[in-house]
This record gives sequence, C-alpha cells and structure tokens, in this order.
Amino acid sequence: MLVPLSYNVRSLFVRRASNLLTVLGIAATVAVVSGVLALQQGFANLYAENGRDDVGVLLRPGATYEGYSAFTREEALKLMKSIPELAEDENGAPLAAMELYTAVRRFKRDEGETNVPVRGVQPATFRVRESEFSIVAGRNFEPGSDEVIVGKSLLVRVPGLEVGDVVPINVTPFRVVGTFACEGPHESEIWGDLDRMIAALDRRGPSRIVGVLRAGTDPEALATRLADAKETPAKFQTERAYLSAQTAMLSAILGLLGTVLGLIMGLAAVFTATNTMISALASRIHEVGILLSTGFRPFPIFLSFLFEALLLGLLGGVVGTLVVLPINGIETGTTNFQTFTEVAFAFRVTPAVIGTAIAFSVVLGLFGGAWPAWRAARLTPTQALRRH
Amino acid sequence: MTFLKLVVRNLLRHKVRTLLTVASVLVGIFLMVLLRSLDSSLVAGAAAAESDRLIVQSAVSLYVDLPLSYQAKIASLPQVESTCKWQWFGAYYQNERNQFGQFAVDPEALFDIYPEVEIVDGSKEGFLGNRRGCVVGEQLITRFDWKVGDTIPLIGSLFPHPDGPDVAWEFQIEAVYRPTTTNFDRQTLFFHWDYFEKTLDPRGTTPPGMGTLVLQVAEGVEPTEVMAAVDAMFENGPQRVQTTPEDEFQAQFISMFGNVPLFLASIGGAVLVAILLASVNTMLMAAREQTYDIGVMKALGFSDGRMFTLLAAQSMVLALAGGGLGIAAAVVTQPGLADLIAPYLPTQYVVGTGTLVLAAGIAVALGLGAGAVPALRAGRLRCVEALGSTE
Repeated sequence: MLVPLSYNVRSLFVRRASNLLTVLGIAATVAVVSGVLALQQGFANLYAENGRDDVGVLLRPGATYEGYSAFTREEALKLMKSIPELAEDENGAPLAAMELYTAVRRFKRDEGETNVPVRGVQPATFRVRESEFSIVAGRNFEPGSDEVIVGKSLLVRVPGLEVGDVVPINVTPFRVVGTFACEGPHESEIWGDLDRMIAALDRRGPSRIVGVLRAGTDPEALATRLADAKETPAKFQTERAYLSAQTAMLSAILGLLGTVLGLIMGLAAVFTATNTMISALASRIHEVGILLSTGFRPFPIFLSFLFEALLLGLLGGVVGTLVVLPINGIETGTTNFQTFTEVAFAFRVTPAVIGTAIAFSVVLGLFGGAWPAWRAARLTPTQALRRH
Repeated sequence: MTFLKLVVRNLLRHKVRTLLTVASVLVGIFLMVLLRSLDSSLVAGAAAAESDRLIVQSAVSLYVDLPLSYQAKIASLPQVESTCKWQWFGAYYQNERNQFGQFAVDPEALFDIYPEVEIVDGSKEGFLGNRRGCVVGEQLITRFDWKVGDTIPLIGSLFPHPDGPDVAWEFQIEAVYRPTTTNFDRQTLFFHWDYFEKTLDPRGTTPPGMGTLVLQVAEGVEPTEVMAAVDAMFENGPQRVQTTPEDEFQAQFISMFGNVPLFLASIGGAVLVAILLASVNTMLMAAREQTYDIGVMKALGFSDGRMFTLLAAQSMVLALAGGGLGIAAAVVTQPGLADLIAPYLPTQYVVGTGTLVLAAGIAVALGLGAGAVPALRAGRLRCVEALGSTE
C-alpha cells in the first residue's frame, strides 16, 4: 500500500518556512538556467525561424558567409540567368536580386561602437521579401539615389538613424528616408541602393545573390550542380540553412554556459534539497515508525519521501519559471562574432525552455531526495520509534 | 569544554548536513568568483593595452581595407617609429568550425612592435627566414596537436587560394609564441605578408589591401598628436581612416559584447541569493534542533549573549569553510579554465586579487547574515519554552 500523497503535501506545509527557503533556492537555480536558455532561444530562433526554405542564397565558392563572399557584376548576372530553378516574375525575369553586404561603424546608445550591417539591394529584393517586408515610417528609398532605409530593431540600439538623419558611408553621405520592419536579422540592417553602395565603397560587385526558388526545387541537387559548374561555380544554400549556420557559434556558447551554470548551481541546489529532506526525516522519524508499525512497507516509505522531494523541486521549478517569464520579449543585442556585426533580438521563454526548466527542477528534487528517502526506508519500526 | 569546542561539536552533530552546507557555499562562492573574473578579465584586457601603439583602420567599416600605399605615407611621419600591417585572413583548419585568428603581417615589425610576443618553441629566425613559415600561439598547438615543423593546410574562406576554393594554403610552423601580457590573443597564427600578397597576385597588378595598420609612436611623442596627423592625411579619401590607441581599440571591441557583463552580474546575483537562502535554511534547521540544548544551557546560567554567539559562530564557521574552499577552488582551477575558455574570450581569464577579497568579504557577510536570525532567536528564547520543545 502506498503512503497517501496528502501526507506529503501536509508535511511540506507544516515545515513551510524552511521549505520555502529550499524552494526559493531551487527557483534561483532554475531561473538562471532558463534565463540563459531564453537568450539562446531568442538568438537562434531569430535566425532559424525567419530563414525561408523557398529562398536560396548564392555565395562565392568557399565563402562561409556573405561578408566573405564577392562576385563581379558579370558573374552575378550570368549566375542569375543560368539557374532555371529560380522563380520568375510576370515579365519572365528571374525573381532574384544581387546584394552587397558590409558594415559601418556606429556608436551605440549605451557606450561603445558597433558594426551595423549595411545591405545594398536591388528593386527585385523587395519582390523576394514581399511577404515579410514593410515600411513602418517615412518611405522607401528611390532606386539610384543616395538614400537609405533603416531596420526598426536597430533604432532601439543605435542613435542617429531616424528619418532625416544622414549616415556617411565612406565619403558619401546617405540620407535616411524610412524605417522598415522585416522579421529576422534583416531588421538590424541599413538598406540602400546596390549600385550607389558599390560606388561609395569602391567595390567590384555584389556579395551574394538571393532568389525565390520554384516549388519542388531540390536544394541539394542544385547545390551540387552549382558547386561543380565549370564557368561560374557558386555555393548554394537555402536561406534557412544559411542563417542557421551563422548562429552556430554563439548558440553553442550560450548552450554551454547554460549547461555549466545548470550543473554547478544544480549541485548546490541538490545539497540544499538533501539537507531539507534529512531535516524533514529527522523531525518526522516518529511518524515513520508509526507508518512502519501500522504495516507500511519500506518501499512505499521510500517513494513517499522521494515524492516529497520531487514536490519541493517542482515547486522551485514553477517559481523559477514564473520569475523568468517577464523577461520574455525583452529586447537586447550583442555582436555576432561570426559576422562581427550587431544583431538585436529578444529573450524568448519558449515551451521548450519551460519544459527544460521544469524537468530540471524535478531532477534536482529527486537527486536531493534519494538519499534521505533511502535512509527512511531502511529504518526498522523499533529504531524509528525509540529515537528522539 | 571550551566554547569553540562546543561550536565544533554542534556542527559535527550532523556531519552530512554540515558537509552539504559547506559544499553549497563552496559552489556558490566558486561560481561567483568565476563569473566576476570573466567580467573583469574582459575589462582588464583593455586596461593592460598600450596607449603608445596606435591602430589605423577604415573609419567606415571593418569590411573596408586600406590601400597598401597608406603604409609608406604613414611610416614617413617623423613621429612614427615603426609600422606593421595586419590582414585578417579568415580561413579554417579542416572543418568550418575550427576557426581562429590568422593574420598576414610584416614579420620583422610584428616582433619590434609587440615585445610581449615571446617565442617559447622553434625560433624567430626560422620564421623570418622561411617565407611560408608561420608563428602560432601555444594554445593552437595544444588544441590541434601541432608541433614545430608541421605543415598546416588552411582553407581560405575570405581569401580562397587562387588555384581554386578547395585548394589549401600551406604554412609551416616555425615558432610558437606565448604572450607575456593578458590582453594579447593566445591562439593566433601569424604569417608573412609577402607570401600572402604574392600567392594572391603573382604579377602584382592588384595588391590586396590591409585591414589595419599598427604603428609604434616614437619615444617622447604625444600619441594624440600622431592620431590627428594620420587621420588628417586621408580626410578626403580615397578611404578615410580612424586612428585609435590600442587600449581604446580593445575597449571598443569589448563593448561589442553588449550586455554580456550585465548578464554575468545578474547570474552572479542569483547565485548569491541561492547560497544565502541555503545557508539560512541550514542554520534555521540546526538552531531548531538545538532548542532543547539551549534551554538547558540557559537554565544552567549561560547568558543570552553567549547563546547568540554560539549560534552565530556556527554559521560563521560554515560560511568561512565554504568560502575558503570556494576561493581555493577558483584559484586552483584558474589555469585549466583559462585554457578551456580561451577560444571564446578575447583576453585571458584571470582571477584577480580584488575578486578574491570580494569573495572573502561575501563569505563573512554570508556567515553574519545566515547566523543572524537563528542567533537572535536563540538569544531571546525563554528557558521554559526551550525545554518544552519537542524537537
């Protein structure tokens, strides 16, 4: 027969002051771990979720990201025309655009400088981005002019980019005429006319080509064909694959940080939980004796104490998660050291984060309760009743 | 029985509990020292930089190179003692994930300008004499299991080999360096500018640009004066430059981490709260179990203050033991952690004395804080109540 669960709940309530402290200790641990995970999720999702599977990215062979990639204009034109997998617009032109990627140094609102990504785009870029791009203030830039538009996430972190401000790129001043929204990393960028940017920066051509793929395109076959192409080889990836690769390093660091902190703090939390349960056992040793002498077997008693520890852990997990919930959506930003450019993103307390936090707290409780529960189960009725 | 003995006996009454409490304080203090050291290592790196070394870079963007001709123009300034160009090479070893810094540099100038680069294996002369030679940080040697004499193939991501994107650039390890300061990266590969330029462009028609130019200001010259002179030289293009002292350059780099320091500090705060709660909890448990004893001692005539001290002292002993061990753990693990974290940190991980003093202070505060409530309770306890206690 099992010991009734209500016994544990009531016991927890009897020692509420001490249990509250234990719960808070576990909660702090869980909060730290889920905070780090929320940061990692926010960052990784910004890239992976907003990368489209129906958009292809073409880079110079061997380039690991667009900042390292460069084509001449002729190569880029030839490439765009030689890929039948690219969708076409109503005039039969490929639905693809050349883009130049670079970064300008700007001061941040909080001290220090950062590298703000700048993208030279073509009119076709807006066709490719039709579903996610919109102007939220001012207007779009005129093709061929020295005007730029600024992603709205950037405005929060970098001053001097409001409509009407002037951004010098090398010796050419560009005027900000609009603010745009575009879910994902593009929203931390400055966009302007491709040819004006190439001229201002004295470049030979674009960095990459983006294009909409026809439905049913096999990305792997296309990648192999373009890599082996004799005349103009290129490295092809879907946008989702491309963007996921850009976050691998920072995601890994945050994941590592979360794991290390979780393990170290978790260890301390397990010690506390063990202490609490030992003390709980000590003060209830009489009750254990009574349970044993009324016919409860050792195993149900073991389970009972374990369950109580689990409950402690779970409570801590719930409190910890509640503490972390308000950070969901808070905007922050850092430099992605794979690209050396600024990227703004928000903490994301996803179901996966909450699930991990709760599971972690339960594990902490179980680890903490195991030994005291085992000790309780090994008592004999006489021992338990005799001891004071 | 002396008073101290009583404190120790009381602690030993529940060995497991005492052990676990000390261990959790240990973990907390260790973690706090670790987090604060990460933060201060970032900042200290910049502080250790030299201010009479200046970095010239594009005023516009880190993606914009400076024309090679700038070097001769800048070197001709009388206030400039020597110059060294750096070009970020952006290659990887075997796998795209194996990234680290590689720079094409002026080989002699590198050693002139950076005396902190100390050769610990191989020889400087060997490197200078071999056009395809390279000098690598000792951490790369351990990371990839290289040795002096090895030929290292690197796939150029930013600068593909002219024979094809899959063709590796090959470098021979001639020397291994270990920086004598904490702010110089310990896993970088330096190689000859000449090899870089001639491989990319054998005919010399379109020489590559340089990413940055580092210059050593001549003795007795005010660095700000040189900064202004260099910036003014290229005010009207073709590429505008920005000249910053090395310390500021590094500070800028570190500020790119954004909220990371704040983030580390918040975690540190949460850790402190957690260990404080754990210790208070333990002390409360211990005090409750000693209620009866305290009643007996008070009945025997021991003063309230004495009882207060008895409980407070137990808390202090626990906190000091845990804190001391935590500090010791942080100091002992420092070299190992420094190697482990090196790929992710631009400066070396150092546990500073200031941090250790702070940690000791926190341990004392923890001892006082955790002991206060139970000690007060013990002091105020009335004999009759205590003796009637069932616990």
